[in-house]
Amino acid sequence: MNTTSNLERVLRGMAITLVILFFMFPIFWIILMSFQTNETILRVPPSMFFEPTLQNYRGLITGQLETVTSSLEIKFMSNLFNSLFLSSASVAVGLILGVPAAYAFARLKFRGSEDIAFTLLSFRFAPPLLVLLPLTIYFQQIGLANTYGGLIWVYQLIVLPLILWIVRGYFEDIPADIEYAYRIAGHRWWTTFRRIALPLAGPGIAAAALLAFIFAWNNFVFALVLASADKQPVTVGALAFITASGVQYGQIAAGIILSIAPTFALALYAQRYLVEGLSLGAVKG
Amino acid sequence: MTVQLRLNAVDKFYGPIDKGVHAVQNVSMDVMKGEIIALLGSSGCGKTSTLRMIAGFEEASRGTIELAGREVQNLPPVRRNVAMAFEGYSLYPTVTVGENIAFALKAAKLPDAEVTARVKEVTEMLEITDILDRFPTSVSGGQQQRASLARALIRDADLHLLDEPMGQLEPQLRTLLRGRIKHFVKERGLTAILVTHDQTEANALADRIAVMEGGVLQQYATPEEIKKAPANLFTGTFVGEPPMNVFPAKAREVGSELLLDLEQGLSLTYAADAFSPEVRAALLSRSEVMLGVRPYAVHRSDNGAGAQVMANQWLGDQSHIAASFAGGTIVLVEHDRANVAVGEAINVRLEPEDLHVFDHVTGSAISHGVEMV
Amino acid sequence: MSLVLKDVVKAFKTDVVLDGVSLSVDAGETLVLFGPSGAGKTVMLRLIAGVIEPDSGQIILQGRDMDGVEPEDRGIGMAFQNFALFPHMDATDNIAAPLTARNMSKSAITDTVGKIARMLKIEHVLHHKPKELSNGQKQRTALGRALAGEPEILLLDDPLRNVDAKLRFEMRLELPRLLKDQQATVIYVTQDYKEAMALGDRIAVMNGHGIQQIGTPSDIYLAPANIEIARLFGDPVINLLDVTPQASQDGVQITLSGVPLAIDAGYRSEIGRACTVGIRPEAIRFVEAGTEGAIPLQIETETPLNEKTVTLAVTGNGREIMVSRPAGTPGPDHGTGHITIDASHIHLFDQATGDRIVPTAVGKAQGAA
Repeated sequence: MNTTSNLERVLRGMAITLVILFFMFPIFWIILMSFQTNETILRVPPSMFFEPTLQNYRGLITGQLETVTSSLEIKFMSNLFNSLFLSSASVAVGLILGVPAAYAFARLKFRGSEDIAFTLLSFRFAPPLLVLLPLTIYFQQIGLANTYGGLIWVYQLIVLPLILWIVRGYFEDIPADIEYAYRIAGHRWWTTFRRIALPLAGPGIAAAALLAFIFAWNNFVFALVLASADKQPVTVGALAFITASGVQYGQIAAGIILSIAPTFALALYAQRYLVEGLSLGAVKG
Repeated sequence: MTVQLRLNAVDKFYGPIDKGVHAVQNVSMDVMKGEIIALLGSSGCGKTSTLRMIAGFEEASRGTIELAGREVQNLPPVRRNVAMAFEGYSLYPTVTVGENIAFALKAAKLPDAEVTARVKEVTEMLEITDILDRFPTSVSGGQQQRASLARALIRDADLHLLDEPMGQLEPQLRTLLRGRIKHFVKERGLTAILVTHDQTEANALADRIAVMEGGVLQQYATPEEIKKAPANLFTGTFVGEPPMNVFPAKAREVGSELLLDLEQGLSLTYAADAFSPEVRAALLSRSEVMLGVRPYAVHRSDNGAGAQVMANQWLGDQSHIAASFAGGTIVLVEHDRANVAVGEAINVRLEPEDLHVFDHVTGSAISHGVEMV
Repeated sequence: MSLVLKDVVKAFKTDVVLDGVSLSVDAGETLVLFGPSGAGKTVMLRLIAGVIEPDSGQIILQGRDMDGVEPEDRGIGMAFQNFALFPHMDATDNIAAPLTARNMSKSAITDTVGKIARMLKIEHVLHHKPKELSNGQKQRTALGRALAGEPEILLLDDPLRNVDAKLRFEMRLELPRLLKDQQATVIYVTQDYKEAMALGDRIAVMNGHGIQQIGTPSDIYLAPANIEIARLFGDPVINLLDVTPQASQDGVQITLSGVPLAIDAGYRSEIGRACTVGIRPEAIRFVEAGTEGAIPLQIETETPLNEKTVTLAVTGNGREIMVSRPAGTPGPDHGTGHITIDASHIHLFDQATGDRIVPTAVGKAQGAA
């Protein structure tokens, strides 16, 4: 019995290592690339040994992209700011609209509630390009094209259904009796919503917000069509790395590292809330 | 009588041996052929782990399990010839209740006529003849549980394991079915192990009860013995409903009288020679003991100790009286409707032969009645 | 009258749960709603609490019609079967919930919570979150929360269901005093007939779509309105045998295992009609063979039941009878036993409707004479 469990442990360890290698290798390689010049990246055969350079990062931060043939201006930092602002604002708006709606869908069974909730979810099914064409024309007419407000509005297509459906599930998991108990104790429904429902669904709201943030951050098509250079997020801005003199792999790698940093930090921070969310089962005891 | 099942120094660890959770600790017990045994304890006491080791769903970390004369601890469940009724019923959902019950007999290629006769017999006993053609999910929890019980009891196995077999039964049926099941098992000479947290059920069905707590077998004895001579405070208070009354007491001897001082200045006075000299010595040598007395052994009597009635609850065929007594509560059971009002002062008499004395630190029994353990 | 229900109807889609229920409860009374699961007990409690609304009918609390009144304005306290504690608040904040709703000062809240915790013996766990509490402590915390607002009406939804047997027994003995101290009107829901008899000033037996019988524990145990109710009270369950009363020399008799048994002469009107006789297991006594009127039985098994011993026996025509006696008293030998039945504990029911047949007063007077 002991020997089998030891063998098991070794096998399990090896399997885990393999999986980690498989998934982490691209990220590891990109980190390496971000410290190399295009020449060292493109040499054949590739090698893990090189002289690390910070020029990619320096270029991105100062906005001066140096290539072999030319030097061009790139607005990476302002793109990064745009991404940050657009994603945060979209999630904030999504939460303000989505959390109360999710609560309503979870608790109040009114006529057509299921249909409305499903319709909202179905926005996720439609290919964005289908929506974009008419939207572009309308936005231009009403002056929303190329504004933050317009983009945040369109981003709700991504953010709102996600928040609505995740948070609704969490609200449904809170036994109604817990809220009734607070009402019967003499509290108004609004107080009950704030003191009972919101805190108990907190981990779910955090998880939904994080996911929504990542989806908004990674959006490409909406911003490509609806935003001009000064409102572009990093996803669109990255196109600038494909220059006339070739693809700037080093800068792209550094750009990737810089642009995943905020979501990565956020995920790390939110991790404990997500774990707490899993233990919400304690509510049902 | 022959031994049908023998557990020999069985241990169960979850996690590494000697380091993981020690769920079952060095349990040894014999079950005779034709005996009904109850494994009794609260959740997490190790009874289910023990059952699962006997059935073969769980490996014993140490020790041996002998069933019908062969060592089975390394055999898979299917080769142990054990029938089991699961707590979660585990009926096959795709076949009818009747086919569920007949399943093992058909698999053993018994003649159809015999299968039909045996299904009829066991389902009549459990009152589920009317649901044989229905599917498990379309019948109530209580009916599913009876179907699961029928599926186990119909088999010819070396051992029948019944895991909480009556938990979901309609209360009106429970007492009747207990009687019938006991009759059924006894008539066929089956050996059965019942796992339950309900001491009423254990007492009603079992020839012997194995009381478990914290992975340790606390006592393994007949219901009568456990009632008369619980091995420790845990067994004493766990088995028996209403639970045993327990009070801390100090013994002292005054002249020819033995006094048991309870809290709040109350003393129980007995003639010293009512107790054997050993009991007297054991009582007097301890600074404190725990005194237990069963509720039905407490009698109202003019020359008893004072108590004040807190509740008098008539349940149709008996009355339960709770009275504040010696800083705690004493419970009395009377078989007729008791005519005492809440707030009334009564006197209660605890006879020497009804006293159980336990060590106040270890909880192990010192004396029962007037004799040492 | 503290609580009045008038013709309350409640259906969920097409499933009628309460079909015109009326009820009135006095101030300070403890009324137990008893019945099997699905009988509508919890629905009734929720209607009173205001978390669901009746389809029609009136609910009047303290003389006020509750139509359109929110749960928080009804002045009630409620304890739930699954406790429904607030998982993110400690026991103190849970108990204090009815107090924080009233803008009480912090110190007054602390005092009140402390008082309740002392009464319920949970002072030592006041700072624990619900998941750190044992089931018994959870149950007491839930009870404390229901009591804290000193409500005029207290709704207890099977509060002892989820605690272990020992604790349930202790609480059953302790609750009446706690409730009387509160002087509240209590509606107590349970599925356990012992709890119902122990705690109720009156018991409303719910079955079907409403209340089938309402009365004191004595009324219901000694004069159950129908077979169903007779079966719901008592453990072991009442023995039910089909009989046809016959005229005898000096009144009415039934025949069990070929032995005639005289019953109340007030049952004269039932002579020749198909009836069901109900005999409580504790109304049957084992006697020596040869005793006058003794009925022979085949003994099957004996099972102990707490402080009683239950004998399962079969009559001459193959019908099962359960007999219970105090534990430790002598029982029958194996094989054949003989019983006598206390005729004053015999109930007769109409076989067709299941309703109890009340012996006529004339018969009673004659019987007494």
